[in-house]
Order: sequence, then structure tokens, then C-alpha cells
Amino acid sequence: MKRAGIGFYIFLIIFVFLVMFPFIWVFLTSIKPVGEIFTSFKWFTTNPTLSSYEAALTNRPLMRYMLNSFVVSSITTLLSVGFAAFAAYAVTRLPIRGKGLFLGIVLAASMFPQIAIISPMFNLITSLGLRNSYFGLVIPYITISLPLSIWVLSTFFQKIPFELEESAKLDGASPFQTFRKIIFPLATPGIFTTGILVFIAAWNEYLFALTINSDDLWRTVPVGISMYQSEFSIPWGDISAATVIVTIPIVILVLLFQKRIVSGLTSGSVKE
Amino acid sequence: MKKLGKFQLNEKQLGYAMILPSLILVFVVTLWPVAQSFYNSLFDYRLNDPTRSQKMLNATIDLERYADNYFYIEGQLSNLESNADGEVSAAVEQVREVVDSYHGELISNSEISEKIKQIDEMLMNYQPVTDENLKYTEVDNDFAKEYRSALQESAVEFQTIADSTENEQLAQSLSQTSSLLTATSENILESNFIGFANYGKYLKDQRMWQSLGNTVYFTVVSVSFELILGLAIALLINRAFRGRGLVRASVLIPWAIPTAVAAMMWGFLYDGQSGIIGHYFEQIGIISDASWLLSTSSGGLFSVIFADVWKTTPYMALLLLAGLQTIPRSLYEASDVDGANRFQQFIKITLPLLKSSILVALLFRTLDAFRVFDLIYVLTGGGPANATESISIYAYKTLFSQQNFGEGSVLSVIVFLCVALISFIYVRLIGSDLFAGRMK
Repeated sequence: MKRAGIGFYIFLIIFVFLVMFPFIWVFLTSIKPVGEIFTSFKWFTTNPTLSSYEAALTNRPLMRYMLNSFVVSSITTLLSVGFAAFAAYAVTRLPIRGKGLFLGIVLAASMFPQIAIISPMFNLITSLGLRNSYFGLVIPYITISLPLSIWVLSTFFQKIPFELEESAKLDGASPFQTFRKIIFPLATPGIFTTGILVFIAAWNEYLFALTINSDDLWRTVPVGISMYQSEFSIPWGDISAATVIVTIPIVILVLLFQKRIVSGLTSGSVKE
Repeated sequence: MKKLGKFQLNEKQLGYAMILPSLILVFVVTLWPVAQSFYNSLFDYRLNDPTRSQKMLNATIDLERYADNYFYIEGQLSNLESNADGEVSAAVEQVREVVDSYHGELISNSEISEKIKQIDEMLMNYQPVTDENLKYTEVDNDFAKEYRSALQESAVEFQTIADSTENEQLAQSLSQTSSLLTATSENILESNFIGFANYGKYLKDQRMWQSLGNTVYFTVVSVSFELILGLAIALLINRAFRGRGLVRASVLIPWAIPTAVAAMMWGFLYDGQSGIIGHYFEQIGIISDASWLLSTSSGGLFSVIFADVWKTTPYMALLLLAGLQTIPRSLYEASDVDGANRFQQFIKITLPLLKSSILVALLFRTLDAFRVFDLIYVLTGGGPANATESISIYAYKTLFSQQNFGEGSVLSVIVFLCVALISFIYVRLIGSDLFAGRMK
């Protein structure tokens, strides 16, 4: 490995600053009095205030959006990771035919544009009477999350040593017992990582949430945030405060699980 | 040995049973809707037009309206018969005969007559008919055409008599019945199956080509920048240094926040009055006016590409960094001994060994960029003057703002075909490496 010199650290600081700049600026704006936002480009305000936060929370049901996003993303994650764990196990470790075909279908499904799915899905959800409900979003979110889960999980399952199954077989364990008692516990870190990726993907989804849950009480965070701007005025104070509030959970998630997220993102993109 | 054979079989059964739920779900939530979109695109299908809110392969009768109208036709014809005389009476008689014979033919189908009975009962109780299987019934195309034109002819005949007669009261009831007959003829709906006609329309549509051009431009420019910058960053940080965790976290946060939230943030930074980016760019002299960023077409495109590069370059860098870390150090050491310089090492060692990582990263990024919706929708709404409209946004607006599911589906099928073509090219380039690490 090359050693890092002082020039390298200067570059690093500039890089991190540039990447973080929008967040820094939005945070600094969120604590400015509203009048200052529109009149000056000063970085630091002399009268920090939380009034924008108060406005962001009272003008729109931001906490309700967060709750909606949390419930929808959690159910989506549990369902798709659950189904995907079975499928990925079967594809990587059981002697079945048509693995390539199955993975091909899954990969193709993950490439399908959501815009080509939205109108029949909209009709389906409407006819099931599920518009403006949590399951009305969970069903279309499976479209995105299930292929992603199967794709990421199958690399994790593939990495578990095959000798373990051999010895379980010799000890007389049934195939399902082997899965439940030996492989599944060993795959827990991978399953957890996949869960985080799926949760983030569901949390960030916009198109389905915009069309299916159009009632304000059922909106998710991305759609709710984009509704802060009205045709006549753009309350930048409210928007920057709301942005800070909804970014905090993501920042915590990333700080806690950054290594796992990176391992999940890069799994399978490199040959090992 | 026998026991082992049984074990194998069980494993296979278990395998298929474990795959089945996912396979069914993928079919139901992805493949079926795409097929349905394609099917919808063959119809003149509009949610906000009652005569076209259904997909009708054959002629169809809106039985709810028809039954209601027919009830009044009966009454009005009897009324006319008792009030009219001579020629008029004969004309009324004839119309009644025609309507009766067609209606008789219609209800000679026991299923339809059963439906009409049910609907009549519901109409008596002022209940709306919501069950679409009950409300609509398919009929023979020729029959529908004949019945419709018979009703229209009768309507014209009545109107002609009404115009020529001097009896004002009779004229009024005749023209009333005439418009009722016309209304009834409109309850007999023609098939709205139009095949590929809409495709022909959109292939000649300038807005379609412009939005497709915008999408391709956005995809090529932003993905190229992301690749070059991502590769540069990955090469620079591929070494041991303090604070890796901090760098990694700061790189992950733009990737992890919702695109819509990022778009709102950039909307603020770009704002013509209070946006800091516009302000600084104007001061440095890069742009003449801060409002250039969001209110001109080239500025709009620049803005969405810049925001996209900011959000996804870190992701690209992470993927490429992971690829770089799998290249053995020994290769570089050996080439050092041979006297190769850094550039030669990059061309001869790094790039060839990184090729599959680059292609996989490019595949996913290109597809994501081509499907771009939320970034542009929230940041510019496709404006100014459709200059930043991507094809997904055009499709969305046609589907949900105009409620035109037929034409909107045509656009979404076009997106689908483009995505399929892009994937096909990449998968051919990447080959079996795509499945590496997932199958033995």
C-alpha cells in the first residue's frame, strides 16, 4: 500500500467538504431566521433559531410521513428478505435445475423500468381497494426489493463453506433442518446487510408513493418533502429544516452500518 | 446408498419449493404488469372518458346506461303512438318495430337478459352499478354497428318530422325522443382496440424524440462523469490512511438519502434568488446570471446532471474501489522491477483487471440514469419548456395528468424497450461474469 502524505490529506479534506457541502449549507440555513435566508449569503447567522424546525413540523405532518415511510419500508424489508432467503439458498446450495434461468429472470426483473409497471399496478391496487394504505405500497415495492434481495443474498450464501452441509448430512439432518439450523444462522450478517439495503431502497422510492398514496396522511417522506413547495412560494426555511430532520435517521443508519452497507453494495460486483 | 438417493430427491423438492414463492411474486408484480402495459398500449384507453375507460376488444354495451335509456324509449314511444296520427304514427310504429327487434335480439342472449334484469332492479332502487362485469357486456361487432346506426337513423327521422310538423307539442316530444335515441346509440361502444396506431403516432411525435434525446444526453454525460471521477477517487483513496471510516460515511450519505430529498436540497442551492451555488457561480463569473441554472434549458440540463453526479459518483467510487482491492499487489511490484511507469501500469494492469467491475457498475448506473424520474421531476418538473423532460416523466404525465393509459403505456413500453436494449448490450459485453459468485 502507498503511504498517505500531507497532500493526500488536504485532498481528502477538500473532497469530503465538497461532498458534504449541500448538507452543511442546508443545516446552516435551517437555523437562520427566515428573513435572513432570502437576503444574505452569510454562512453563519448571529441569531440562530429553531423556528424553521417548528414550522416544518407544524405546517405539514412530517412525523406522520416518517412513520409511514418507516412502516412501509419495514414490512417490505421483512417480506422480501424472507422470501429471498429461501430462493437464494435454493439457488446457491441445492441441486435444482434452471438456476441460470431463475437468476436471469430475477436480474431482468431488477432492470425493468418502474414506469412500465406503474399503470397496471395502479389499476391493481385501485381494484383491491388498497390506495392510501401501507400494503398499497408494500406490494409494488416488492418489485424493486425482491430481485435486489435475491441478488445480494445469493453471494452471501455462496460464501458459506460447503463442508458444513456435508457434515450435517452425515449427521442425518434433513435438508430443511440444515438450512434452518446451520446455514441460516451463518448467513445472518448477510441477511442483515441485505435488509439494510432493501430498507434504504424502499425508504427512498418516489414514483409508486407519488401515484398510489396521494392522500396527505399516507404520504411517505420523499413525496411529503417534495410537497413543501407550493406554486406560489417556496418556504426554504421549512424545507431545509425538514431536510435536516429526515436526513438524521439516514446519517445514523450509515454511521452505524457503513461497513455492512459497503460490503452489500460491492458484493458480486467483483470477482473474488 | 439408497438413503442418499432419497436425500437428494428431497433436496430438490425443497429447492423448488423454496424458489416458488419468489418466482410467483416476480411474475405477479413485475412480469405481469409489464405485459399488461404492452397490452394497454394497443388500446385507445382513457380513464377520464366514459366511452373509452374500458379496454374493449369487441363492441361493448354500457348496460347501465342502456337499460336506463331503453326504459324511457319504451315510455316515450307509447306516448307518441297515442298522440300522433297518420304518417307520424306509421313512422313511430316503424321505429318501435326496429328498436324492439334489435332489443329482442340483444336479450335473446340469456346472460345479457339476466344482467339487464339485475340492473333494472338496481336502477329502481337508485343503486349505482359498480361491478364492471355486470355493467359492461360484449356483443357481436356487426350487431352493434347495425343497432347503433338503426338508432341514429331513427333519431334523424324523428328530428326531420319534428322540423316539418306544425304541431308544436308533437314536435317537442319527437325531438326529445330523437335525442334519447342518439344518446342510446352512444351507449353501444365501439371496440377501442387500435393495434399499433399509437406507436405510429409517437414515433412521429417531436416531444417523444426530444424527451428521449434528453434522457440519452443525461445518461451519457452523467454516467461518463461519474465513471471518470469515480475511478479517479477510487485510485486516490486505494491506500492505507487514517480516517477511512469518515470518508466512507461521507461518501455513503449522498447515496443513502432519498433522491427527492436531494433534489429539494439542490433546488434550494440552485435557486435564482437565494441559492448559494448560483450566487457563487455568478461571482466567479462562470455564469452571467444566477437564474441561468434553473430557468434556461442548458442551465436546467447542467443542474440535473450536476446533482446526479454529486449523488452517485461516491457509489461508483465505492464499487470501483472494491474492484481495485482485488488486484494483487505483486503484479505492480513485478512491473516495477521491469521498469514500467505508473501510466503503463494503469493501462496494462489496472484497467484490464478492473474491466468486469467497471462494466457491472456501468450497467447498473446506465439503467438507473436512463430510468431517471424523481430527480428531474422534483428539481425542474421537466421544465423549462420541457427542456429537461426525460422519457419517464413524459410517460408519467401522459398516464396520470392526462389519464391517458393507452398513450402513456406506449411511452412506457418505449422506455422498456430501450432499457432492454441497453441491458442486452451490456450483458453481452459482461457475459457470464455477471453470475460470478452466485452459481457454481
